[in-house]
Amino acid sequence: MLDESIQELESRSLARIASAKSPEELEAVRVDALGRKSGLTQFSREMGKLAPEERSRIGKLLNSAKQKLEEALEVKKQQFAEAALRARLDAEWVDLTLPAPGPRRGHLHPITRIQRELEELFVSLGFTVLDGPEVETEYYNFDALNIPAEHPARDMQDTFWLDGGNLLRTHTSPVQVHGMERLGPPLRMIAPGRAFRNESVDASHEHTFYQLEGMMVDREVSVAHLLYFMKTLLTAIFKREVTVRLRPGYFPFVEPGFELDIQCLICGGPGCAVCKQSGWVELLPCGLVNPNVLRMSGIDPEEWGGFAFGLGLTRLVMMRYGIDDIRHLQGGDLRFLEQF
Amino acid sequence: MKFSYNWIRELVEDLDYAPGPLERLITMKTAECEGIEAAGVLLERACAARVESVEAIPDTHNVKAVVDAGRYGHRIVVCGATNCRAGIISAYVPIGKKIIHGVESDGMLASAAELGINRDHSGIVELDSQVGAPIAGCLADSVIEIDNKSITHRPDLWGHHGMAREVAAILGLKLREPAKLDLLPWSAPAIQVRIEDLNLCPRYSALVFENVAIRPSPLWLQCRLTAAGLNPIGNIVDMTNFVMAELAQPMHAFDADLIEGDTIFIRPAKAGEHFRALNGEEYKLDPSNLVIADRSGAIALAGVIGGAGTAISDKTTRVVLESANFQAASIRKTSAAIKLRTDASMRFEKSQDPANTVRGIARAIELLREVSPGIHAVGGVADQKKEIPAPPPIRLPVAWLERKLGRAVASAEVRRILESLEFGVAETEPGVFCVSVPSWRATKDVSMKDDLVEEVGRMVGYDSIAPQAPLVPASVPPGNPERKFQHEVRNIFVDQGFTEVYNYSFISEESARAFGLEPAAHVRVTNPIASDQALLRTSLLPGIWRNIAENAKHRESFRLFEIGLEIHGQASGLPAEIPHLVAAIYGRQSDGPLDTSASLFELKRTAECLMPGAQACPVEARPFEHPARSASILWKGAPGRACEIVGRLFELHPRLVEFGRAAILDLDLRAIQPLAAADAKYTPIRRYPSAAFDLSVIAAMRELAGTLEAAVASFAGPLLESIQFLRQYSGPPLGEGQKSVSFRLTVGSPERTLSSEEVSEIRARIIDGMRGLGYELRV
Repeated sequence: MLDESIQELESRSLARIASAKSPEELEAVRVDALGRKSGLTQFSREMGKLAPEERSRIGKLLNSAKQKLEEALEVKKQQFAEAALRARLDAEWVDLTLPAPGPRRGHLHPITRIQRELEELFVSLGFTVLDGPEVETEYYNFDALNIPAEHPARDMQDTFWLDGGNLLRTHTSPVQVHGMERLGPPLRMIAPGRAFRNESVDASHEHTFYQLEGMMVDREVSVAHLLYFMKTLLTAIFKREVTVRLRPGYFPFVEPGFELDIQCLICGGPGCAVCKQSGWVELLPCGLVNPNVLRMSGIDPEEWGGFAFGLGLTRLVMMRYGIDDIRHLQGGDLRFLEQF
Repeated sequence: MKFSYNWIRELVEDLDYAPGPLERLITMKTAECEGIEAAGVLLERACAARVESVEAIPDTHNVKAVVDAGRYGHRIVVCGATNCRAGIISAYVPIGKKIIHGVESDGMLASAAELGINRDHSGIVELDSQVGAPIAGCLADSVIEIDNKSITHRPDLWGHHGMAREVAAILGLKLREPAKLDLLPWSAPAIQVRIEDLNLCPRYSALVFENVAIRPSPLWLQCRLTAAGLNPIGNIVDMTNFVMAELAQPMHAFDADLIEGDTIFIRPAKAGEHFRALNGEEYKLDPSNLVIADRSGAIALAGVIGGAGTAISDKTTRVVLESANFQAASIRKTSAAIKLRTDASMRFEKSQDPANTVRGIARAIELLREVSPGIHAVGGVADQKKEIPAPPPIRLPVAWLERKLGRAVASAEVRRILESLEFGVAETEPGVFCVSVPSWRATKDVSMKDDLVEEVGRMVGYDSIAPQAPLVPASVPPGNPERKFQHEVRNIFVDQGFTEVYNYSFISEESARAFGLEPAAHVRVTNPIASDQALLRTSLLPGIWRNIAENAKHRESFRLFEIGLEIHGQASGLPAEIPHLVAAIYGRQSDGPLDTSASLFELKRTAECLMPGAQACPVEARPFEHPARSASILWKGAPGRACEIVGRLFELHPRLVEFGRAAILDLDLRAIQPLAAADAKYTPIRRYPSAAFDLSVIAAMRELAGTLEAAVASFAGPLLESIQFLRQYSGPPLGEGQKSVSFRLTVGSPERTLSSEEVSEIRARIIDGMRGLGYELRV
């Protein structure tokens, strides 16, 4: 009689569990079947009235029913939990084709980019990076570079003069002098920076431009060493083997002085519009440091020698990126700057 | 400087290099060529032709001319020249047939300008030749243009003979000497020369000629001058220009009858002395200008320009020919002072060779005989000069030369090269040359052994030197912390969406004033490119302002920044150059009214990326700032330091922004860099848990959250680990004009876990403290 009641309760509860539609419904089944006032609890209370052998059999029966129901409840509960999670996650659908909020990365100025590249390159070759003032004295900009007053070479660089007799440096070369004075020989330095010439601005001329001055002073420095550094440098800049040539050039702070040309990277030599059909592109002036310059900076030219070069950063940037109008570089137009 | 190929070929024996290859050789060994231009192309086919008849073409200015063109036969040409008339001999060029005004014109009659003889374009050339003959002495030429900068140091290369010497040396050919010194008469001069200061005028040579006939120069001479870029005027002046173009010796001819007295004085101008020059200009001189003078006053501005009062004219019959040498610096100064650069001053400022004056006169004597037949010299050459000792020979050890070049050069090769350039070479000891410098290279150009490295190097060819790595000790180069820091700043701003701009160092007075900067307090450019670029910027703001305005035309919103130097004049010495960063965020109003301060906070956040813990402290706005939106930026860098003002955060006054808003951050990188340099230092992670609680302070709407936070923190005591702003709120149940600002405080001890009583005590202390200051708290 009790046997049947237990089995009946078990099968009825299992059916209710199976058909439960919600966690709440399931909880109701649990209370009805296993709760304090449930059938099973009633039955176990009645156990005391039974004979000992009967008690053990019914006890096993009750335990088995309880276990079955608990398992079924657990399984069903898990099913509900999973369904709920699935539903929640599904509701969390997002459209990942929407743009991400927040600003995008900005852009470094193209001159900064190339300048940094060169700084890193030279530092790796043992050169130090120096800065000098943009407002210079006549002495540092000219005299100390072997360009005394009334020297016609002063015409090569149209100068912005300032009240008080100072000037805006016409090249980064004065930093050579500062470097020699400050650090003495041996010395390997570069000085990238802004320089100024009093020129009208058009697509290929600027009154404000960037140069990278370089200098090495050591016991034995030859034209062959200069060539080595220039070739190494230019190969790294252009990321390909470049052919260079030196030809005579006059700059009072070097002797001998050179213009360094590279074989045209566009046509490779036969001549094209870029190289004006010559096969070569003038890239940088350089030379062995004039002994007068060393002497004025307190370095004995009989013991030390050096080379120096002046790379036109602005020009290099224009070449690297194919920029056709120099005015873009200081125009502040984001449509230009965001391309780099 | 323009070089006539024909001229050079005349001076170099057996020169058979075509202009193109010659130009390349010159570029590689001597000076930079800027290109070759054909001159007198028509001359190749031109011939003298007689105009037989002329017939006007109705309703035009042109005529139909029948010409006898020698080997080309009779031709009909249409000609527009007013001097086209029957009987004259002109130049015919067969350029093909074309119909002009309905008349078939077969070829053309050419002007002297078209032929490249001179610049005369007023009519067709009138010749004095046989019909069919080529144009006498005039040949098609190639003009090699040399970059003036590349011959700044070479006084000798300002004449064809100097360039011819280079060509002869490069090719191993013989150089012709155009000046025949034995033509110089050395009898008593017919004019006296008195140089006041031999340093300013190291040599003055002069010779008087009479029986001068002024007329056009022969065509060949005009043709040469034209190729060299000089303008033919008349025989005497053309001859002086010819000598200058050939020997680099500027010359001047005075009308001898217009000179007062028989003495030429070379003296400094008197203060205020007036001088009327050949160009019609009147100059007021001072003693820094050297003049050539007669008894009555200046007749030429030495080395720059002749005077109008003694100029050659059609009436001239006697001339004084001047061939002088002047101190380069003095000429340059004068030429710069009166803003007049002439062919003469350009040469003199390169330090011409004093030995050249008499060569010039010798060459002139020969030329004058041809251009002014019947002319003859009166008396001998007047020649006053400074005795200039020959410079000491240069000691050149060949081994040293090789080390400088980085390649071996045989001694014999060194000698050959130097001798081909007319240096004197003696081998005083084995492997060492004693090199004497020719006078035309000795004025400024070559004075030390390094100069000879160039001579030998360029002639053996720099392309023969193989690149070679130097043997130097490996070493770590000294760092540049300022520059490194600026690169880091750039990275931070770029990462936060800012694009880098570069602006000019020049600003206008107007834009300075727009930012409350007094124009007078700026370093001023005395020769600005334009009047609106006359001041050196003491702030990057005007530049960024322009960037904002320009880009706002194309963009709804953007972020940009610049790192650049502010230049502040100092009482003495060079100006202070202070690196600044200015960053801006611009946005149109369409962003919505609630967001109007978002850009300011974005800038503040970016500033904190650079300077963790930086604070904004509201300050009184400057006139260009939004009056309720400006703050100083304070930072102390490492803990324990005092806060410094390092910049400013503000919104541009709406007056300065046409549409939208622009928030701006201006930082003094020179102040920040040392603060940022502090190295991190490790402190052990706390072993005992901290406790946190929230507090909300009720305050008036415009009380600063930062002030409240500082006050709360001050009551928290030493166990406060951190205080963090959570939110602020206004609205019910708070009263009108009130807000509630909430903070989360974290307290703890490195030695133990705080008891709940201790935490409560701290909390109560804060609440009491704040109440003491008059604040209610929502707890």
